[in-house]
This record gives sequence, C-alpha cells and structure tokens, in this order.
Amino acid sequence: MKIMLQFELKKIFHKQVNKIVLFILAAVVLAGSCLAIRDVWYYREDGSKISGLSAARQLKKEQDKWKGYITEDVLRRVVEEEKAARVSSAGDEVLFKIQGYDDIRDMINIGFSEVGDYDYYMCGNITPDEAAGLYDRRMLRIKEEIKASEEKAGTALSEKEREYLLNQYESLKTPLYYEYAEGWKALMDSQYLSTLMTITIVIIGFLVSGIFSDEFRFKADSIFFSAKLGRNKAIGAKIKAGLVAITVVYWSAMLLFSAIILLALGFGGAGRMIQTGRNFSSIYNITYFQFWLFTLLGGYIGTLFILMLAMFVSVKSRSAVVAITIPFALSCAPMFLGRIPAMTYIMNLFPDMLLRINWYVEEYLIYEIGGKVFRGYSVLIPIYLVLFLGMVPVLYYGYKRVEVK
Amino acid sequence: MELEMIDLTKKFGNFTAVNHLNITMNNGVYGLLGVNGAGKTTLMRMLCTLLRPTGGKVTCNGKEIFAMDGEYRKLLGYLPQDFGFYPEFTVQDYLLYVATIKGIRPAVAKKRVKELTAKVGLEKAAHKKMKKLSGGMKRRAGIAQAMLNNPKILILDEPTAGLDPNERIRFRNLISELAEERLVLLSTHIVSDVEYIANEILLMKDGELVHRGTAGELIGSMREQVWKCCVEKKEVKHFMKKYKISNVKSDSHGVELRVISREKPDQNAVLEEANLEDVFLYYFGEKAGEDNAAI
Repeated sequence: MKIMLQFELKKIFHKQVNKIVLFILAAVVLAGSCLAIRDVWYYREDGSKISGLSAARQLKKEQDKWKGYITEDVLRRVVEEEKAARVSSAGDEVLFKIQGYDDIRDMINIGFSEVGDYDYYMCGNITPDEAAGLYDRRMLRIKEEIKASEEKAGTALSEKEREYLLNQYESLKTPLYYEYAEGWKALMDSQYLSTLMTITIVIIGFLVSGIFSDEFRFKADSIFFSAKLGRNKAIGAKIKAGLVAITVVYWSAMLLFSAIILLALGFGGAGRMIQTGRNFSSIYNITYFQFWLFTLLGGYIGTLFILMLAMFVSVKSRSAVVAITIPFALSCAPMFLGRIPAMTYIMNLFPDMLLRINWYVEEYLIYEIGGKVFRGYSVLIPIYLVLFLGMVPVLYYGYKRVEVK
Repeated sequence: MELEMIDLTKKFGNFTAVNHLNITMNNGVYGLLGVNGAGKTTLMRMLCTLLRPTGGKVTCNGKEIFAMDGEYRKLLGYLPQDFGFYPEFTVQDYLLYVATIKGIRPAVAKKRVKELTAKVGLEKAAHKKMKKLSGGMKRRAGIAQAMLNNPKILILDEPTAGLDPNERIRFRNLISELAEERLVLLSTHIVSDVEYIANEILLMKDGELVHRGTAGELIGSMREQVWKCCVEKKEVKHFMKKYKISNVKSDSHGVELRVISREKPDQNAVLEEANLEDVFLYYFGEKAGEDNAAI
C-alpha cells in the first residue's frame, strides 16, 4: 500500500502542469506574505510614514508603552490622549501620537458608534468617563445589534438565541490585555489569508482532479481495473494520495505564509484576545493564537470537503477539467451570490465560509438545533467534517463500480 | 484452467454487442477473429471484469468471475487495444506500478520487471519515459505489464495493430513463447496473426460466434472454392460485383484475381488452395474490406 501510494503521489507531482501550479502557489505565498508585512505602517512625528519591518519595530516601541490590561483608567487615558493629540497636532501628525493605542481607540470607536456604523472620530467625541464604561457599553450594544438585525431580517431571534448571545458577551473576561500583536494582526486581520486559502484550494484542485480521471484520459483504466487490486486497495491508495496532496500543500502554504509574517513582525501578542481591536463585537472569546489555529483548521476541513467533492466529480464526469471547476465554483461563486439578500442565509452554510473564518468571526452567525444554540462555525466545521468523511466511501465505491466501455 | 461463457450477452441500449455467447476455453492459444464492431473488444472487456454482462455469466473453473473479484483478476493478464500508460513514468516505474496494483510483492516485482524488460527487449529503454517510446516499444511494454503476474489467462486485444511488419513478426513470436501453460485469447482482424499462433480460431460476427476450429477445420468448412484467374482491367468491376474477391493483383498484362466461388468463375480460372484469409472473406463477406483483410 505504501509503494502504491508513492506511485500515486509520483503521478501527481511529476505532471508538468502540477509543477507549474505549485510554483505559482509558492510565488503567491511569498508575494502575499510580503504584502501583508508591507501593510504595517508607522507614522513619524512629521506625519510621514514608513512600512514593513522597520515600521513594525518602531510600532512595537510605541505599543509597548500601553502594554497591560485595558482597565477603566487606561480607557480614560486613551480618550484624554486622543483629545490632546487632536488639539495639539494637525493632519497625519496626529497618527504619530495615537498609533501606540490605536487598537484601543478602535474598540472605543466600535463600542460607541451607532449600530451598523463606524465613527473613526468617536474616541475624541466622548468623555473619559463614558469610555471607562466600554465593557458595559459592549453589553448594551449587543442588545441594540440584536434588535437591529431582527428588524433587518424581519424575524425575531428566539429567547434561547438571544440568551446565548448575551452569555457569550458576558463570558468575555475583562479587562482585556493589550500588547504588541502586529504579526498576528497582519496575518489574521488582513484579506491575504482568506485570499491565499482560495488560491490554494483552486491550485490543489489542479493536483487532485486528475487522480481518478487521468486513468480514463491516458486510457490506462483497462489495465488498472483488470489488475488484482484495481478495484480495492489501488482505489484506497488514490484516495490516500489525494488526502496527502491536500494536506501537505495546504499546510505548507499556510504555515509558510504564517511563518514568514510572524518571523518578520514577531510572535508577540499570541495570547491577546481578538476582541482587542476590530473584532471587538465577536462572540468568539479566543486569543489570536487560538484564532489562527481555528481559522486554519476550519479552512483545512473546508478544503478537504471541497476537494473530495472535486475528486468525486472527476470520477463521475471522467474529466479533470470539469472537476477543476468545483473548487473554483465553491470557493469563489458564493462570495458574489451571498450579496443577494435572499441568498445570504443559504450562502452562510456553504463550505466557502470555512475559508473565510477570519472575516466572519465578528458576525453573529448562530443556529438553534434541537433546542440548543451553536455558533455558526461550531455547526459548519462538524457538518463539513462529517460530509467529508461521508464522501470517502462514496468516492471509493463510485470508482470501484466504474465500467470501462 | 477453464474459462466458460454461458449465454453471455451485453447490450448497450438497443444495440447488442455480444449475443448469447456460449464458449468454453482451456489452456492454449485462441484467436478471436472478426471485423471491426463484431463484439470482440466487448467480449474481452467482460472477460477482464471491465464490463458487467447484461445477461449470462463467465465462470473460471466453475466460479463466477465477478464473485471471485480479486482472486480472478490475480490470474489475469490483459493488453487492451488502446493501451494507455502514464506519460511521465519511465518504463521501469510503469511496470513496477502495475506490479504493485497486481499485488506483487516489491522484491518479486523488481526481479520480474528486470526479467520481462529483458524478454521483450526493453532493457536499454528501462529508464526512458513511456511517452518517448516508439509504437512497437510501447506494445512490448504492454505485453510485459500483462505478463508481470505470470497470468494463467492472457487476454490480448489487437496486440499487433499499428505495428510495422518486423515488429509484428517479433511480437507474434513473443506471444507464441509466452503461450505455454496458459490460456491465451488473442483478438485481431489481422488474419495472419492468428493463422501463425492460434491453436483454435473463433470467428465472431455481429456479437455471435459464427464458427470455431483450427485453421484447417475452418478452411474445410468453406462450401465454396478458391480460384485464380487473369482478367482484363475493365472486367474487374463485373467480377467484384458477382463474386467475393480475396485478392486483386495488377500488372501490365491485366489483373490477377483470387475469387471465392462455388462454380468456376472464368474459363481460364485455376483451382487454388484456400487459406484463412479466404475463410475470413467467406464468412464476413463485404464487411471484410481491404482494411480488415490486411495480412
């Protein structure tokens, strides 16, 4: 079985087109990580700005001044400093002064803005005492958000759902801890990770879509199926080869992307809660490191399901070209279809959601099943894991029963 | 080894490719002869468990081959008509891979691959990529893969199609060498291939078995005689319409025809000894065109 697997992997990785797409993926990983690093900005005193590694170093010095728990006193100080900075500086010079606590500003801005709105200047428009009540304000805000979302959807949340959301908010341990986390933020809060996941899944689609259909394309099917193990172990080896290719390429791309960014910008802030910044409203009470792990694992399950489906389509259609369209269609099309209001609910259940966990982690996606309420991803991840596992025998028996006409 | 086809039928929609076939085969070389579309490939694919019969069954030593599953395929070596391979694999890799899916242990497979590449004359090309091989070399790699498991049943579908005369003779000799102690079923529409190596010939037409026997028995089964006569060029058309013509040879004096007919087709016609090609034409008539009757 091991040798059979080695040959199947050789078939995949020796194909010219597959070598090309892997080269493209490596280039995308490098380019994406460089862009993510470049997106870290540091503002000098005169308002000019630098980006990249040196910016991160300077930013760390500024943010380290604010390292610690975001207590009521800290929140008061942020508002006071913000107001002072706005009075004493003009234009981009202000940014030099506020960049050390910019994420805390963000929390205040989100917390005190109108529901469905974001007021960048909110921090300077409230009193220090108001800011000190940020954590209470967060609880109040969720109630407002629930009301707004019910009005928008035209349906009310059940009592259990409402209770669940409030519980999630209440269970966030405050005060939150703040420290430099630009590496994790560049990794998780940018669009690059989910874009990379989409590109990776399409590229792995090229690798795996030929595993089964190439037997037909090369007219090697007759010999394959007339061999002793052609209708049992050899199919198992093909499925294993697909899983190995998916796993190795997916994790290589994700870990390489993460490693480049974190090595460049620093691993610091892994234990910082994701609510300390733009995900202030999230119902997922997790640290940046947990967020990273959760996003990558969810993406892996989504990738496994989508590509297993692509392999199944390649068995049924006997065409790698048709199979390649599956990862593309499932990872890209829902993004556009989801913009149609009537489609939003359905599209929230599509597997592409698993490729964009870092984007949807701040949404109130919850489902009530059998009287119990679950967060969106607590439902989607097990569902697609089960569907993926269910696809394995379907794929196996689908190929086993193939006739060579 | 006994392979038995019992009332074997395969239909594709309304088209019957193999029609209630009853054949029993034991060790030896069987030549399956028929025009294109006679059902030879469909029959072979059923024997290789690549197609399930619509009706009837195939048994191997009394056991139904689909029920035997891997145990039956263990006995099988198959060279299909459209022999496909993995273009990026070397000959050695390809053979080792096929050995693996045939369930041959790695150490045995290595030895067997070495033996067979030498036997089919591919020793020097063992590290060449499959896509770089000539047509003849690919066929030789094909027969090598079929022989890897030392099969008790060897099924060869049009093994000499597309080969040049030298390669064909070489290939025929190779098959004869490999044919000992096993059941070999060789399908072709090239008459001379089976004439040389088959112990028994099965004539297939429209999915049915028309006749079976040795070359001599088949020749003896003809109810018409074979004549050779020389005619003028302008008369050829008339003869073609009236008789089955198994050969036409032109020269400056006229045209020499080989005619299959019960009566003497021309005053100057001379009686000739019939051969298998004449049998082919006799049974398959107009369908056995130039292409099908090629030597």
